Amino acid sequence: MPKLVIDEREIEVPEGTKVIEAAEQLGIMIPRFCYHPALGSVGACRVCAVKFLEGPFKGVQMSCMIDAKDDMVVSTTDEEAVEFRKYVIEWLMLHHPHDCPVCDEGGHCLLQDMTVSGGHGVRRYLGLKRTYRDQYLGPLVQHEMNRCIHCYRCTRFYQEFAGYFDLGVMQIANHTYFGRFKDGILESPFTGNLSDICPTGVYTDKPSRFFGRRWDYQRSPSLCINCSLGCHITASARYREVVRQEARYSEAVNGYFICDRGRHGFHYAKSETRPGKALVDGREVTTEEGIRAAREKLAELMSRIESDGVACLGSARSSLENQAMLKQLCQKMGWQDPSYFVDESLAKKVKTAVTRLEPELTVSLRDLEGSDAIIVVGADPINEAPMLALAMRQAQRKGGKIVVLDPRPISLPCDYTHLPVKLDEINLYLGALIKAAVDPEAITDAEKDVARFYREAPMLEIFVDSLQKKASSLAQELRASQRVVIVCGTQVVRETTVVLAGDCVSLLRAAKKQAGLFYLLPQANAFGASLLTNKEFSFLNTLEGMENGSIKGLILVENDPFYSFHHRQRLDLAIEKLDLLIVLDYLESPAVRKAHVFLPTSTLYETGGIYINQEGRAQAATKTYLGGISIAQISGGNHPPRIYGSEIPGGEARAAFQFLDQIGDGGSDEDETASRQNPLRWLSANLPALAKIPPFGELTEAGMLINSSDEGTGQFSLDWKEEKDKGDMTGDLLEVILTDLTFGTEELSSFSPPLRKLERKPCLFMQVNDAAKMGLSSEDRVRIKLDEGDVEVDVRLEENMAPGVVILPRHRLLEWQKVKRLPKFVRFEEIEKVSD
Amino acid sequence: MLSQQERDEIEAEFPHYEKKRGVSVEAMKIIQRHRGWVSTQAIEEISEFLEMTPDELDGVATFYNLIFRKPVGKHVILVCDSVSCWIMGYEEVRSHLLSRLGIQFGQTTGDGRFTLLSVPCLGACDQAPAMMVNDKLYGNLDPAKIDEILEAHA
Ligand code: SF4
Ligand code: SF4
Ligand code: FES
Ligand code: FES
Repeated sequence: MPKLVIDEREIEVPEGTKVIEAAEQLGIMIPRFCYHPALGSVGACRVCAVKFLEGPFKGVQMSCMIDAKDDMVVSTTDEEAVEFRKYVIEWLMLHHPHDCPVCDEGGHCLLQDMTVSGGHGVRRYLGLKRTYRDQYLGPLVQHEMNRCIHCYRCTRFYQEFAGYFDLGVMQIANHTYFGRFKDGILESPFTGNLSDICPTGVYTDKPSRFFGRRWDYQRSPSLCINCSLGCHITASARYREVVRQEARYSEAVNGYFICDRGRHGFHYAKSETRPGKALVDGREVTTEEGIRAAREKLAELMSRIESDGVACLGSARSSLENQAMLKQLCQKMGWQDPSYFVDESLAKKVKTAVTRLEPELTVSLRDLEGSDAIIVVGADPINEAPMLALAMRQAQRKGGKIVVLDPRPISLPCDYTHLPVKLDEINLYLGALIKAAVDPEAITDAEKDVARFYREAPMLEIFVDSLQKKASSLAQELRASQRVVIVCGTQVVRETTVVLAGDCVSLLRAAKKQAGLFYLLPQANAFGASLLTNKEFSFLNTLEGMENGSIKGLILVENDPFYSFHHRQRLDLAIEKLDLLIVLDYLESPAVRKAHVFLPTSTLYETGGIYINQEGRAQAATKTYLGGISIAQISGGNHPPRIYGSEIPGGEARAAFQFLDQIGDGGSDEDETASRQNPLRWLSANLPALAKIPPFGELTEAGMLINSSDEGTGQFSLDWKEEKDKGDMTGDLLEVILTDLTFGTEELSSFSPPLRKLERKPCLFMQVNDAAKMGLSSEDRVRIKLDEGDVEVDVRLEENMAPGVVILPRHRLLEWQKVKRLPKFVRFEEIEKVSD
Repeated sequence: MLSQQERDEIEAEFPHYEKKRGVSVEAMKIIQRHRGWVSTQAIEEISEFLEMTPDELDGVATFYNLIFRKPVGKHVILVCDSVSCWIMGYEEVRSHLLSRLGIQFGQTTGDGRFTLLSVPCLGACDQAPAMMVNDKLYGNLDPAKIDEILEAHA
């Protein structure tokens, strides 16, 4: 490891460390524009110049381009280096406008900082400035090319790092232009990162323009809860509303970047439709009245029914505190334990995932970037968890092999092999691939059940002819790989697939590969929800209880079954039969409107909270602002009302855990901080996996990995023979797969006005050959017959998807909730063309 | 749409490169030979044929000043403005050309006959001052010779 001296301080760094990075480790921040830790060095801007006094290089050199070596003596403060940097800034500023006060980057601009700190206060250049034409890049990013200093960060991120090619560099020398071939919406779902990494104001966050300067904002470390990865975010609020979110560096999860769904998914918290006042029978009341009504109505109900006549549904988008408090309340009141998932099968799959994630199998998102083979099973990264796709691309760039087993038309920003197979076939194909990837020699000493699992797994020959060749060359490559990760989704796959993914990883490990397991879960805190879910209890039982009259009271906590349950009519009827519906939420929903008592809960921006991501990493989001209705909404664009008081206007919302606490113990009005300790203490006392959960605020940046694995449960239990029988169970039917899109299906982000502009029109994806059989072409509109009515939708034909399935996105603009039972199959005749 | 001829010529280049996109420059030269310049539509057509985005191809196109992204005249005059030519009388060549053609560098004459561009060194320093009209090199220029050359290009 090279040892060198920088500014008279010695440091030892690993081989390959650049001098600029070594200096950073000493706390010396050498100026930089083009260098970025995720993008590497290009030496384009010349602002990182330092002077090498001793060692293999001499004189002024670029510290981002030179590897630290033994015996180097480097000075960042040497007069010659300082002067060099000063000139660099001056020439970078030649063409730059002198208008920081009207620039959207002003206040958080690296160029501004460098110019000021470099001492270039007075402009000597009097000539004409070069000017460019700006482009329209879509609703998320504002373009102002005159501010460019040609550091190439944008195009390196956009093309090399993220794998999209509709923005890049044009022209040459003094004309060099960063933008698109033509004006238009950027295609990548990672575009917001341009605003983060551009060191000047060329790309800035468009939705938050003209709202404030960085220093005006209340900024806090927060988390993204728009999918289960739990990316780190910095939230900025002003005037009682979240205004902007930026990527926050995380070593284990998202690195330096986030996706656009996460960046712009926060608008639900300030939605005009967000219910902010307690309601009793539809009438606005004070919060205290609301709590009292809830208690009284519950008491009245409980006086005339059995104690298991009240059921509770928590949610996977709630913080761990809320989830735990709900369970605590149920136990205290003698009710049945709550369920947290509307879809029973999903609950089971998540449970399987959570119990299979043994610590040694678990890989973080960043670990995944270092794998040399990734097998994706029933997951659609770009649409379900966008940052996963970005991590996979990094693995692929380093030579990793990517294989996807999924019926859907998967598209990824990297090289990959897609085997479009039906959901019923995934298990067999996965088994065959893994079997072929294992060297028989390597498992000769494996334990009995592993050996049997290996022996009975299907042979590659099961692949249909069209996939044979692909599959066998894949198997070859997989056999050569060392660090394999199986990524397994939980949304669309069969329950057995989730089990099998874990078994396959165990088999690979028995074969002495460093295999890892990476599940995707349905929502930000599905992991926490699952920890609290009892196996034998699900929302389906609740529903049946409501139907047969044994359940008379229902409490919904931050869960809107009307959004996610696949059978709306059934839900409607069951809810009608209730004597008491209590709803706690921060989203507007049909449930809120139907509630006898509604209590407005706070969002994570107002309360913070602990969320456990899909990897089992418990992470904390801190409070961003104190809550209340935004000044923009309260004043309708005018001066805010001239009323003085100590209350926060519209600040009735409270953390769900506070409300639940008060419902349980008679409304002793504890403050938030005190009330929060309650569920956390309860968790550490009652859930062994969470025994060591620290008090809120003491969770570190890296969070805490929760081990809830239950070794041996169901391992290698799968019966291959039975699987084989199921092979063509579907005959001449089409399976309707309900699925997610990057924008337009996820509950929270679907409230975001800028993201709504990016939603694709809902459509039904069909395999070309299936469509041909029905005489459908891509412009057509069809009516698809579901159990409780039809859905009318445009058809989109795709080559790269499995035959025998159609894909229906759970789009917010589509009334898809007409399915009695999942999985759902339709006959070809049940999809008919709508003539116009 | 790319003509069959254009396609054939581009395809004939494929074997020389590892990837289709490697043919970018050749393909644009081919189109330019046929059409005189490379229009925005041509960029779209070629990029589709080479399986790359128009953004990527236009990045290549606009990098090279001899790929014309704007229409040019019937004859393109490239005048060397580099050192040897400058020493040997470039300024006279320049002013004569500008006044004879009545245009500035980067412009095309009203009758569409000539486009005037500057280039740094034509590799003909031994015959400086030099210029090129279309694909032909002319050295040891003086005003009379320039007039002669211009006359010859109807
Ligand atoms: S647009 Fe920004 S990121 Fe891109 S080269 Fe210019 S200054 Fe750098
Ligand atoms: S990948 Fe998921 S967690 Fe990360 S920013 Fe996007 S939506 Fe949020
Ligand atoms: S940061 Fe080193 S040259 Fe730009
Ligand atoms: S300098 Fe003019 S041809 Fe070389």
